[in-house]
Amino acid sequence: MHRIRNILLFSLLVLPIGAALAQPCDLSIRGKVIDDHDRTPLSFAEVYLPELGRGAVSDLDGNYIISGLCPGTYQMRITHLGCDPVERKVVLDRDLVLDLRLEHHVEELRELEVISKRPDENVGLAREEVGRTELERSAGRSFAEVLQNLPGVTLLNSGPTTSKVVIQGHSGNRVLTLNQGIRQEDQQWGSDHAPNMDPFTADRITVVKGAASVQYGADAIGGVILSEPVELPRSPGIGGEIRGVGIYNGRGGAASGSLHGGLRGIPGFGWRVQGSGRMLGDQQAPDYVLSNTGLREAAGSASVGVQRHWGGATLYYSWFGRDLGVLRAAHIGNLTDLNNAITSGRPWFIAPFTYEIGNPYQTVQHHLLKAEAKYRVSDRNTVLLTYGYQGDERKEFDNRRGALRDRPSIDLFLATHTGDAILNHWLGPHIHGKAGFNVVYQENFNQPGTGSRPLIPNYARTSGGVFILEHFPLHDALELEAGARLEAAFLQVGRFNAANEYETPEHRFTNYAFSVGGNWSIREHLQLRANIGSAFRPPHVVELYSQGLHHGSAAIERGDPTLLGERSLKATTDLAGAWLEGRLKGSLSLFRDRIDDYIYLRPAGTQLTIRGAFPVFDYVATDAELYGGDATLEFTVHGPFRIRVRAGTVRGRDLGTNEWLFQMPSDRVEQALLFNKETWGPLRDAEIALSLRSVFQQERIPVGLDFMDPPATYHLLGLSVSMARPLGNNELRFGVQGANLLNVAYRDYMDRFRYYADAAGLDLSLWVRFAFGTPPAITP
Amino acid sequence: MPTSLRQLLLLSLAITLMTACKKDDEDPVPPTPPPAGNEQELITTLILTFTDTENTAQTFELRWSDSDGEGGNDPVITGDILPQNRAYSMAVRVLDESGASPVEITNEIAAEKEEHQFFFLPSNVNLTFFYADQDANGNPVGLANTAIAGGPSLGSLTVILRHELNKTGAGVAAGDPTNAGGDTDIEVTLPVRVD
Repeated sequence: MHRIRNILLFSLLVLPIGAALAQPCDLSIRGKVIDDHDRTPLSFAEVYLPELGRGAVSDLDGNYIISGLCPGTYQMRITHLGCDPVERKVVLDRDLVLDLRLEHHVEELRELEVISKRPDENVGLAREEVGRTELERSAGRSFAEVLQNLPGVTLLNSGPTTSKVVIQGHSGNRVLTLNQGIRQEDQQWGSDHAPNMDPFTADRITVVKGAASVQYGADAIGGVILSEPVELPRSPGIGGEIRGVGIYNGRGGAASGSLHGGLRGIPGFGWRVQGSGRMLGDQQAPDYVLSNTGLREAAGSASVGVQRHWGGATLYYSWFGRDLGVLRAAHIGNLTDLNNAITSGRPWFIAPFTYEIGNPYQTVQHHLLKAEAKYRVSDRNTVLLTYGYQGDERKEFDNRRGALRDRPSIDLFLATHTGDAILNHWLGPHIHGKAGFNVVYQENFNQPGTGSRPLIPNYARTSGGVFILEHFPLHDALELEAGARLEAAFLQVGRFNAANEYETPEHRFTNYAFSVGGNWSIREHLQLRANIGSAFRPPHVVELYSQGLHHGSAAIERGDPTLLGERSLKATTDLAGAWLEGRLKGSLSLFRDRIDDYIYLRPAGTQLTIRGAFPVFDYVATDAELYGGDATLEFTVHGPFRIRVRAGTVRGRDLGTNEWLFQMPSDRVEQALLFNKETWGPLRDAEIALSLRSVFQQERIPVGLDFMDPPATYHLLGLSVSMARPLGNNELRFGVQGANLLNVAYRDYMDRFRYYADAAGLDLSLWVRFAFGTPPAITP
Repeated sequence: MPTSLRQLLLLSLAITLMTACKKDDEDPVPPTPPPAGNEQELITTLILTFTDTENTAQTFELRWSDSDGEGGNDPVITGDILPQNRAYSMAVRVLDESGASPVEITNEIAAEKEEHQFFFLPSNVNLTFFYADQDANGNPVGLANTAIAGGPSLGSLTVILRHELNKTGAGVAAGDPTNAGGDTDIEVTLPVRVD
């Protein structure tokens, strides 16, 4: 009942301000798109505002107009066939006339139509984007935490600093991450294995909410996360940026710096180097220190590339390293210890704040090397070849006796080679798309010397797939897409069985996937996207061959070598519109997802050992169904003031046992009061957001599976302030972020450490970003 | 249409390349064997030796062992009857008997006394335990103890070994594990008879 009261209270607080100050959104941007070389007008160029999902196409004389816009700052993306896409930011406080110049590479293209807005777009699939502005605000947060405010995205935590992304109820091996276009492979089967990625390397992170195995291959059951890099410069002139953030909770901070430039002699050549670091001490819950939750991170990347009219080539290398403390009180011996932790309601180990990281802790190192070549075969056909190498090293140090403390109890090295070849083709104005194949070769090594039985065996995995994905732009208002993929995987395992005999079982998996989708502009400001797609996931080695005690979760987990892998069929519908001259914007996205042979851990009694009783879990397959949706409503009450309400819900059913699925995110609502001002004295882009996030108690849980009731409903107050100060050619941007402002003590159902300790309390961070020199993208 | 023809050619080239790659992989190197799975931390055996304080030649033993570790064969529990109304000095031994020759874990525990403590929790049996040893901080460890046997009774004894515990928690020094925290290395229950 009090959830409704909370919503009402907040609305009462906000609504009167708006009612008094109403103002319509009737601004426009107009202008001409011009070829940078010969000043001729470019027709059929697309001018697109991604935040609004709206745009316009230039006419035969290159003129474009987008009207009905609210005042604000927009990212503008200009694309044209044969040109490199260009992005620029526009500040809109009155009607704007803006001529855009594009660098047009292919002279003979003038009479052609626009091929595609964004070639990688999954037609019909709901997608969410974290742009540059949101990325700079969440500076100092981990990769997963950056995405947590997106509709349909929640987190699976193991304590305050270890987070994994959950997309519409799916996480771990059911979410595929593409880092710079390469499948991220970093032992993501472990629920306490946070992605080994540095968010400072991303310029934009997109979350595709839907089954997308056709384009991206195995594991894309719940969705795909695309981390896109900053474009390399194509013209001479050095520029760069420095970012810094101070973080109150954990008494630490992060810093990042980058430099980029081109070469005067070589047109189209660009380079970038970037480095970052992050350090935090123990996190603080409202009532106690969360001992041993500090972390240290360091990362660096370098890239060079050349972009010319014939195509281009880039070479990218990045390194990421992290030492991460694991909450001391969460490391327990057996079921009795777990029950003690739950009854006491307080972590049994609380020490004064320290930056030091003791046992248990994890250290990871991740290397990524990517080589990419793009060749323009003809005007409208390009071949894209990509090779990626990833080396991922993970060591986990436990609380062990004597000298074993300094030896990792898990020591894994995962080497992954990926190769992709894609042909972007144009068969006619109403059919174009891409076709290609991918190959993955992966080997997992247990490094000797741990003095413990390997949790997962050594293995080699080879897989290859062919796919085709075609777009059918039927007319201006309707675009369809259809695609299919075939994939085969071969898995060889090397392991010692329970009797210590060496065996090398082999597994073969063949899978297919299809997808059909459509985008329909019902009328101006009302768009419908719908997609039905399938995805597959061969079982992971951990699900096939896990055996023995999992110390982190105090459970005995047994794999099943006969598991066949998951197949999913997911339907998504996404409706987005604007009403009242754009003052009211809303979106509704619904999904329904059916997974055959959904693999999960089912309790199978307890086992008595010398260390006491342990619960036993078996990896079993069942059929599951997930459904739910999320909705956003945003209302401009007056000029700079807006209110926004977001709600999300996920339901998961085990159809085999007719029970709820374990560890599904509970319902949540976020209400925000936003204030925007483009020019405020010497300041630009001022934005203030005050938000109240309510996460409700999970009432839909499987009977008798969990050790503790789901934690109670909680409400968190957040604050975000950001602004920019232009300094000649340079720009200084800064802001304050506040989380859990009322320092509420709470536990979250999606936190695996909810049995042991409260979540982190009040946090404030202050961030600064200083950009200097020539901006990376060519600004018209 | 020449362009489509070219695309078709390119596509078939791509597919040929892929199948070619697959052929190369037909005789792949099998995965290297992982290091043999011996668990160096394993505890398989707990032995409590009761020595009559007035007649040190008389010793009695309670033993819990599971030499193949978790799973596999059931643990073997054996125990002598403890004569009634006597005082005993009781010593604890911990072994790893999974390998060819038993490994004495007791020494490892003795080397890290500050981080370890045993707890002895009798139930329905007339046995009382007192710690007879100390770590460098003056806290009990439980490798050496005194046990007092009362009148005839049949019950059980739960023995717990905690690692990295909070020895200053309320009641912990007196032998109550409730506020000790830490990781449980041993938790076994043995039947005991005093007669």
